[in-house]
Amino acid sequence: MTALGGPKQTAGVQPPTAMGIVLSIVLIVIALALAYLLLQMAGLVALIGIIIGGALVAFGVHFVPVGGAPAAMGQSPGIATGVAMLAAGAGLAGLFAGAWAAPLGLAIAVASGAIGGGLLMAITCTMVNIIYVFGMGIPAASGKVAKDPITGDTFPEYKSQGTEGHGLPFVSWVGGVIGGALGGLGGTLIYLELLGVYQAQLPVILGATVEQIAPVAISLAGIFAVGMFLVNAVLAAYNITGTIEGPHDPKFKRFPRAIIASAVASAVAGIVALGLFQLLGVF
Amino acid sequence: MTVKVEVGAGGVPHNKIMIYGLVGSLVCLYLTYLNTYLQAPYLAFFGGLAAVAALVWGADTIKHLCSYGLGTGVPSAGMIALGSGVIAALFGATTGPLTPIVTLIVAAIIGAIAGLLANHVVRMDIPAMVSSLTELAVIGAITVLGLVTMACGTFEFLGMITGTITFLGFTMQTYEMSVIGGGVIAAIFMLGAIAIQHAFNACLGPGEKQDRTLMLAAECGFLSMITVAIISFAFIATYAALLAFVISVIGWLYTYKQYIALSKRDAYAWLDAKPIIEPKGGA
Repeated sequence: MTALGGPKQTAGVQPPTAMGIVLSIVLIVIALALAYLLLQMAGLVALIGIIIGGALVAFGVHFVPVGGAPAAMGQSPGIATGVAMLAAGAGLAGLFAGAWAAPLGLAIAVASGAIGGGLLMAITCTMVNIIYVFGMGIPAASGKVAKDPITGDTFPEYKSQGTEGHGLPFVSWVGGVIGGALGGLGGTLIYLELLGVYQAQLPVILGATVEQIAPVAISLAGIFAVGMFLVNAVLAAYNITGTIEGPHDPKFKRFPRAIIASAVASAVAGIVALGLFQLLGVF
Repeated sequence: MTVKVEVGAGGVPHNKIMIYGLVGSLVCLYLTYLNTYLQAPYLAFFGGLAAVAALVWGADTIKHLCSYGLGTGVPSAGMIALGSGVIAALFGATTGPLTPIVTLIVAAIIGAIAGLLANHVVRMDIPAMVSSLTELAVIGAITVLGLVTMACGTFEFLGMITGTITFLGFTMQTYEMSVIGGGVIAAIFMLGAIAIQHAFNACLGPGEKQDRTLMLAAECGFLSMITVAIISFAFIATYAALLAFVISVIGWLYTYKQYIALSKRDAYAWLDAKPIIEPKGGA
């Protein structure tokens, strides 16, 4: 079920077309080659980091329990908003947490980003359930599985007729936190790779110290990370088409398509972002 | 349960709006280039008008795309538009006088690739996907570029990252007091993203009329322009910023009045609320 009609829902997962696969491989190879030509090994490593970050974002989005408009009326499980909104919230919270920890090194910054994204989703999921249970009087019941895979709670007794389930079962809560963590991790990885490249290039181009160009480098890396994050999140949302309950939902099996699409989109957007200063001053 | 996205038929054909939007925004962007020959950037407000032209075109494109029912909500289309647009806009900005053209080409490439991925890898299989995402990326890029130009008076990259600060009577160049270094680009990003998706998101449903939707898009654009005009006081000469502010307010008032008139036209009934009259002699 989708909130807004949606393209025809066919059984199973349709694999990408041959043209899609060929296009994906060609574009990634071109992007990697360009990265090596423009910035040698540093560019190659940065672009691979961006591609991994984008793929993590797309994978993470599939964990998040998205209920859409029906969830607002208690007619489907999940958080009552769209995929793009939730992913943006979790990813940007992760990005802020990661950017704050950027001077402490890659490992700590990435971990901080993951915790930021996961924490936002944990708070959101908990508050959603408090409102469902104590505000609306809705018990948590999944419509896609009979038993919670983690706690073993059964659902059919609690599911209202004519709905696809309601509330936020524990497995969806766990999925939300994992999704937020992966999204924050991916977003932070994109940010750090871009920041590293800009901090190396900008002082040379502008003839200034690293401290002087810091605001520009941070702002550029941040806005590009946000842009790439949203492109990846929306492609993942198109893959899900509407609502998903979490990792136990049959739609979760579609994730390989989104990972391919996001990897290619990140590679293309990433090479534009990495090559930002190549044309500066040419015209 | 499915909520059908209903789109009103008739109105101006989409291709005509596209040509007007594209040509109008490009002409407006190039008019801001004349700032180079003036003492102060008095023509900066044309950047905002370029964004408004692009937003009107964007609302029609979103209407065209979302009539297929993506299942992800209308805002996701606005997010992918600005997400891919901001990358193209900042890349294009490094090419000096060619900025609007390069921005357009880079945005079209990123958008077309995102569209192909959505259709052939994620398997949305929507006929209008490739053309719509191409248009949306171009619109997002022009919106960002236009609003940034309005804020700092130029569409050249060095103008966006350098500002001046007066300290004890000395004027110094700094990277912090600039549109990108100050992080204003993030505010502009969201102003564009909200403006582009709100119009169709608010007007969709039975009885949707094209002129009303597009008038709301223009109103949202002028509302964003007002905010950017206030921001521009920090970066450009006061009189130029004041001119931009007055033009934005006039534009907003006109489009708001028109939108209310069109809403009254399309409404089944309209109750003009009046203030409660105090009973004579006290209650």
